[in-house]
Amino acid sequence: MEKKSIYLSVNGARHEVHCEPRKLLSDALREDCRLTGTHVGCEHGVCGACTVLIDGRPARSCLTYAVQADEVQITTIEAVATAGRLSPLQQALHECHGLQCGFCTPGIVMTFEAYLREHPQPTEAEVREALSGNLCRCTGYQNIVRAILLAAGRMRAETAHV
Amino acid sequence: MSEQAFRYLNKAVPRTEDYRLLTGYGRYLDDIEIAGALHVCFVRSPHAHARIVSVDTTGAVAMPGVVTVVTGRELAQWTTPMRVAPPIEGLVPVEIATMPIETVRFQGDLVACVVATDRYVAEDAAEQVIVEFAPLPVVTDMWQALDADAAQVDPMVPGNLVSHQTYSHGDQQSANRRAFRVIESTFHQQRQTHVPIETRGCAALWDAGRDHLTFHVGTQVPHPLRTQLAARLKLSESQVTVISPDVGGSFGQKIALYREELTVAALARHLKRPVRWREDRLENLTAAANSREDFCRTRAAVDEHGTLLALDLEMREDFGAYCFFPANYLARVVAMVLSGPYRLQDYAFDVKVVLSHKCGNAPMRAPMSITSWVMEGTMDAIARELALDPVEVRRRNLLTPEELPYRTATGELLTDITPSRTFEAVVTALEYRAFRERQQAARAAGRYLGLGLCNVVEPTTYGSRFYKAAGIPGSGHEASWIRIEPSGVVNASVGLGPSGQGYESAMANAVAEGLGVAPSSVRIHLGHTDIAPYGMGSRGARSGTAGGGALYLCALDARRKVLAIAAACLELPDDDSLRMIDARIERRSGDEWTDAGLTLGDVARRAYLDPTSLPEGLTPGLEFHLTYDPPPMTYSNSAHACEIEVDVATGAIRIERYVIAEDCGTLLNPTVVEGQQHGAVAMGLSGALFEHMRYDETGQNVTGSLADYLIVTSAELPNFEIIPLHTPSRATAAGIKGMAEGGVMGALGALTNALNDALAPFGVVADRHPLTPMMLRDLLRNKL
Repeated sequence: MEKKSIYLSVNGARHEVHCEPRKLLSDALREDCRLTGTHVGCEHGVCGACTVLIDGRPARSCLTYAVQADEVQITTIEAVATAGRLSPLQQALHECHGLQCGFCTPGIVMTFEAYLREHPQPTEAEVREALSGNLCRCTGYQNIVRAILLAAGRMRAETAHV
Repeated sequence: MSEQAFRYLNKAVPRTEDYRLLTGYGRYLDDIEIAGALHVCFVRSPHAHARIVSVDTTGAVAMPGVVTVVTGRELAQWTTPMRVAPPIEGLVPVEIATMPIETVRFQGDLVACVVATDRYVAEDAAEQVIVEFAPLPVVTDMWQALDADAAQVDPMVPGNLVSHQTYSHGDQQSANRRAFRVIESTFHQQRQTHVPIETRGCAALWDAGRDHLTFHVGTQVPHPLRTQLAARLKLSESQVTVISPDVGGSFGQKIALYREELTVAALARHLKRPVRWREDRLENLTAAANSREDFCRTRAAVDEHGTLLALDLEMREDFGAYCFFPANYLARVVAMVLSGPYRLQDYAFDVKVVLSHKCGNAPMRAPMSITSWVMEGTMDAIARELALDPVEVRRRNLLTPEELPYRTATGELLTDITPSRTFEAVVTALEYRAFRERQQAARAAGRYLGLGLCNVVEPTTYGSRFYKAAGIPGSGHEASWIRIEPSGVVNASVGLGPSGQGYESAMANAVAEGLGVAPSSVRIHLGHTDIAPYGMGSRGARSGTAGGGALYLCALDARRKVLAIAAACLELPDDDSLRMIDARIERRSGDEWTDAGLTLGDVARRAYLDPTSLPEGLTPGLEFHLTYDPPPMTYSNSAHACEIEVDVATGAIRIERYVIAEDCGTLLNPTVVEGQQHGAVAMGLSGALFEHMRYDETGQNVTGSLADYLIVTSAELPNFEIIPLHTPSRATAAGIKGMAEGGVMGALGALTNALNDALAPFGVVADRHPLTPMMLRDLLRNKL
């Protein structure tokens, strides 16, 4: 299959990628951009582990071809903590024990970094509904839900303070 | 040592592993960059049972980027088969080739392996391998497997009966004659699989100059896996290094040395090039390992008050096509610990394990998961049949504290467990009497509430004496080392294989507690066979008691030497008046402890850099090694209770409350323990409600994606309420009891009992999982 040259804009950096049109965005991010924080759990679009942000919105990178992401803004887990400081959501996940093996965690972080921007004051039921697109086999979800609600509260307080 | 005496154990702290995992800098198998690595893709059988007539690889080999295609014939030259033949009565020995040559035994079984420069190319080429199969008859149902005319799965297992064990203690017949009633109950648990979110995979590097294999693989048991891998490649253990990186979940699936892994290692050696494999989800669901699928029937002889006089268990388990583990041992544990916290001496079991044309079984978190459902479902059946209160029936039969230690009918010793305490705690928490009133009122309004109870006595930490008694080769001991470096920081290791449970944090606490340093100064190294001591890995809820215990005892050894050197530094005759807290030596005068002006760093410098000044009899350096063999079996206990509402019109179950009271001894880190409790209960509820590895009658797996094989999501689970009632064990190091599987056991029983309580007005009993809306509607058909 003939390879194409594309540009992937990931976390503010531009990567020239030379790949077949069938190459998945998840594989291009991991192999060509060497950003292995995006995990591949099912390649069927079900588990949510590979979620990244495309122009700020969550997308399953295992259901997206790299060539489809030419010239859009992609954000991956590696860009969420800034200057070694965890984001409020990451910090809350740490404090609430919202992760165990950590394989599904990047997908959950990416999903809810976007979600909490659009839904600053979610109820627990709403969080559980939104989280149902991300499979976790370790935690039973309870501490993830608790962390998301804690992060939402802290982010609201921060916004109010500013 | 009393609970209060601990400085770090029993105190909840966040995990130290989290930062890398939260920021995308964890290092899982596929994150390891290996320059020039080749990728494999396996050609798998589309038939459940077929003869391989021919394999034509010419088209595949001719494709650009394809390096080679190998079949079972090459692998038979490069590797030895796996033989599972422990001397266990009733167990038939089996032998498994690295890759089938003549016959495939399940849909997804291996036929060939394509090696290419890229995973996409390898997958393309696998489609071009032309295999001619001659399909053979199949058996996919454990009830047909033992029929005289059933298709045969394994030529070494005539009649498909791979294990048959019976046992009897006491006198059931006389008890049955005395009994007021003999009550029969049945339980069907469906086939399931582990679903780690990170699938299997491995990467092999062969160093042709040193004749050495480095093998990266996510495994629960690095050293036992290395022993197997070396032997089957005809290498010595000094020629193989196994490295297990961050692992994205395992749940029992990452214990065996799988045929795919051995194939990749053999290819790297043969090709003298690095070779790697990443399993896809379809392969993981259909061809990694299945679990469970068992049937139990109990006959309980009781008096008119519900007192259990005798119990008889008939069990059958479907082990699939291949036995990567002794086929008897998962079912054996069910039969061995069935009676749980109840008084029972007249007991017999008959356990058959059969083969079928399905993916082979492996233990899955709580391989004995069905146990508590069976026992507690039996308790509910007794209450139902005799019109007694299920709480009262349990109270009548529960072992009292005065009866402990208690030798069960199968010879197990129950000691330091608190089942009445955990049981009463959940009965109180759920306001049992008030619930019955609410339930009555709701029924009158056409709403169906149910309350389910389940007591669990969880066997953990199988010690070497268990293995010896069971005839299984292997040991239950664990090994550890601790090295205090010249600066006073601490490195330590233990032979566990973590896969997300937070061992780096929990084990640092064990070292810190035993030694007298802050956990933050302890770095735990795991999963590398050249670094870690030879241990037995992580399985059977053993890591806390065996691994944590080994490190704790090793740290006590280290502390003794540190204090002896400190005494010499302070020119004291002995160390009786010294202790170390957070790496500072303290000295007692009267009832007061004061800082002695000496740190662990000072002691370490002397041990490494001025060893001639050490007291006589002390060797230079501060390195310690210790192995620890825990008791044959350690037990923790819990009680689970849940309240549900059933929508009888749709068959939907809604879990309103879920309460767990648990006693699992001293906790290495309560944060980690709570996470394990949540995870285990979630896995149990997921299995009871949704999961079902389905095969059609021709042996086709019809659950090849996570859209077909359903696992529970956040939307279906409640918040779990945990009542901690921990009491230390007197038989183990630091009083640890082990846990993390009992939650599965309790969830199956509590949920199913709640459902049957809710459905009582309809006179139906659910006796099989999963409890899907369709299944419930079937049960209620013509009953509403």
